[in-house]
Amino acid sequence: MRHLANWSILGLTLLFLIGPFVIIILAGTSAGNNLAFPPEGMSMKWYLKVFTIESFRTSFALSMALAVFGTLAALVMGIPAAYALNRYDLPGAETVRTIVAAPIIVPGIIIGLALLRYMVVPLDVTVTMALFMAHTALVLPYAVRVVSSSMQNLRVDMEEAAVLLGCSRMQAFTKVVLPNIRSGVLAAFILGFVTSFNQVPVSLFLSGPGVRTLPIDMLAYMEITFDPSIAALSALLAFMSLAIVFIAERLLGFSKYV
Amino acid sequence: MFRNTREGLALALPAAIFSTLLFILPVGILLSEAFRQGGSWSVQGYIDFFASPLNRTVFLRTLKLGVLVAGSAAIIGYAAAFCIVNLSPKARGRVFGMVVLPLMISPVARTYAWIVILGRTGIVNEAITGLGLSDTPIRLLFTETAVYLGLLQLFLPLMIISLVSAMENIPRDVIPAARVLGASWFAVFFKVILPLTKEGLVIGGTLVFTGALTAYITPAILGGSKVLMLETLLYQRVNVSNDFVSAGVIAMILIVMSFTANLLLKRIATTRS
Amino acid sequence: MKTALSIMLLGCTASTAAMAQDTLTISVYSFAQDEYRAALYKPFEEICGCELVIETGNSVERMAKIEANAAEPVIDMAVISTQDALSLARKDLIAPLDSAKLSNFDKLYQAAQDPIGDHMAVGYTFYASSIVYRSDLVDITSWGDLLGDEVAGQVALPNITGTQGPPTLMMLGKALDHGDDFKPVISTIGEKADDIVTFYSRSSELVQLMNQQEVIAAPVGRFAWSSFKDAGLPFAWAEPAEGQAGGMNVMVMTKNNGNEELAYQFMDYWLSTEVQTKVAEMLVDSPANKEVTVSDEIADNLTYGADVIEALNILDPATILDQREDWVDQWNTEVIR
Repeated sequence: MRHLANWSILGLTLLFLIGPFVIIILAGTSAGNNLAFPPEGMSMKWYLKVFTIESFRTSFALSMALAVFGTLAALVMGIPAAYALNRYDLPGAETVRTIVAAPIIVPGIIIGLALLRYMVVPLDVTVTMALFMAHTALVLPYAVRVVSSSMQNLRVDMEEAAVLLGCSRMQAFTKVVLPNIRSGVLAAFILGFVTSFNQVPVSLFLSGPGVRTLPIDMLAYMEITFDPSIAALSALLAFMSLAIVFIAERLLGFSKYV
Repeated sequence: MFRNTREGLALALPAAIFSTLLFILPVGILLSEAFRQGGSWSVQGYIDFFASPLNRTVFLRTLKLGVLVAGSAAIIGYAAAFCIVNLSPKARGRVFGMVVLPLMISPVARTYAWIVILGRTGIVNEAITGLGLSDTPIRLLFTETAVYLGLLQLFLPLMIISLVSAMENIPRDVIPAARVLGASWFAVFFKVILPLTKEGLVIGGTLVFTGALTAYITPAILGGSKVLMLETLLYQRVNVSNDFVSAGVIAMILIVMSFTANLLLKRIATTRS
Repeated sequence: MKTALSIMLLGCTASTAAMAQDTLTISVYSFAQDEYRAALYKPFEEICGCELVIETGNSVERMAKIEANAAEPVIDMAVISTQDALSLARKDLIAPLDSAKLSNFDKLYQAAQDPIGDHMAVGYTFYASSIVYRSDLVDITSWGDLLGDEVAGQVALPNITGTQGPPTLMMLGKALDHGDDFKPVISTIGEKADDIVTFYSRSSELVQLMNQQEVIAAPVGRFAWSSFKDAGLPFAWAEPAEGQAGGMNVMVMTKNNGNEELAYQFMDYWLSTEVQTKVAEMLVDSPANKEVTVSDEIADNLTYGADVIEALNILDPATILDQREDWVDQWNTEVIR
């Protein structure tokens, strides 16, 4: 009895969470010209059409580049920061933590607007550059937090032992700390990648001629037509995210870090 | 702990400086602009903002939907999280993965699905008319209900995740022990589970509430111009009227709301125990 | 990945000024880009040996960007609505056009030659606005039918902030005998607000809503008609007793963009009989060039011919600009609430 109750609660919750996603996949297989469920006949034409739309290709490339390089940049700054916050008795530790975490609390649309108003326009920074920096700032909190939590589990004395045994501090970090937080770094990378790739509000104001992230391009496409190719593209992207998460889960039990 | 403060600062500063220059500074200027009126400091922008009935409605609606979404997420979240921690480790991992899954899917795609589901000829209406609950289809799109459902679906996973990790810390035999001693399920929840998971509730509640306030896509697509929320109003102010003062005011309101929610939840959590 | 990288590098190093020599940046409506590419962009790039950079979006967003970049224009020429053009002209963001540099200027309908005064713009297309409705479910013979009981709960209106908003108010005003005063019209819409599904801001949104039967009647510009026709549902284009509303889209030149010669060349090419005919035959834009001749079948889908164009009820762009704030205020208090 308990079992049944348990599973029906879970079943309903999962239906609510995942149902819409299944509908999108199926709506994309429609043979008709409208977004509808159940779809009007079956066809793969919308899934194929996605690949022929030029602006999707360029915006996909931009989003991909932003997600990869933005997350890498965030890790380059975030790992040392996480290390410092965990291993040093810093006077301003709390301030640093607050500053770095701030982009999570503030609405994304405001970040985009502020960068457009006070950086792109007056300082002549290109939109692409602004996007890159905004995405880096946005991923930074996740990088610091996830890497921090995996560092907390690492005992300090291992590092001290390495130093006593003749390693320099840098060597101790690369030989002892880094290998042990590897999975945390990977988790941070994936989380950052997905966050950046799906980001809408920050990029809303940051677009220029020929420069547009994929989610914004999808919204723009929807201004012209609601045909099922958007459903197809959404499904393809979801599969991409799923594949990444699946691989990550297999490699390192990713869900621990979310 | 290492004592060399200078070394530590050198490691932490790049991230802090980057966030300050790229984020705190521009956002700070934008927010301060809402306090400027003809060269001097003033709160006129806020007075003007709340003088408009539409703005007041939008503010109250945003607050209401934020509270409703966070509240519903907490209720469903507790039920789901309780079920999840009672599963076998293997099943738990799978179900947990499925809860996390929607977070990996673009919000554009997730919101898009609701247009089809909630339409006049969508499955919800087919079910309603099919079951004889109503003769004619009900209008669901462009209503607060649509925005509520969209937001709940978007942010429920964050609540479940926070509650599951909090519940995992409850010692295994506490709940059966309380039951054996004659506590009702009601008492078990309020006297045992809630106090032991309050931290998860604070984190989850803040994430869901803030998320619901600052979501753009969902109110834009499912609410449209009839169900404006602060975030869509902000976009409209900037893009239709080039009105940066209002934009700054709305931004400030959103930030204050998120912080207040976080403080309130923390306060509630500490007084309960 | 390689393209992504090169985009990044391009964004970081190349300045726009260095590229301006052989690049023309235009800002256009986002619909029918495939058709424009075939009929206009590609052929023009071959003629001028230059590269077109195309910025798309709805007019409000594009306007905001032109204004934000006023000191150093990114956009060289833009196509927008007459009232947006007038608004840019009043803000001193666009330059007057020298008709001598447009060889096709004399071929334009009179109304398109100087639509906002001071030669600040030329019209390149006209469109009628009327009501699309499901002919199997309702019959629409007047603009007033939009607020009638037959379509209550299944009607959409354009948002006041969009291009189609004011013309709809004008025609409803005629139907409700309020003349040119929009105030009582907005009040009436406010009373009926619960019967209106949504106030749409994009025609694609409306197409989707009408396809899923959420909406069975709504005012829309003729330019969107072809997307309804493809849907396979019995949609009809109303011919209301009060007539059709009309509008015109125009070309403007941003001030001091340093790329004027190329921009003129592009505008002139777009206004040529050849391009205007091609674009018309694709059912994208109705011609503003009076030398364009198309078959009856094509004409039937366009806003075509001197008689049709002269009969359109076109709202004065200055009126829209001067009164829009008041309308929006009233709309926000009485309609959206």
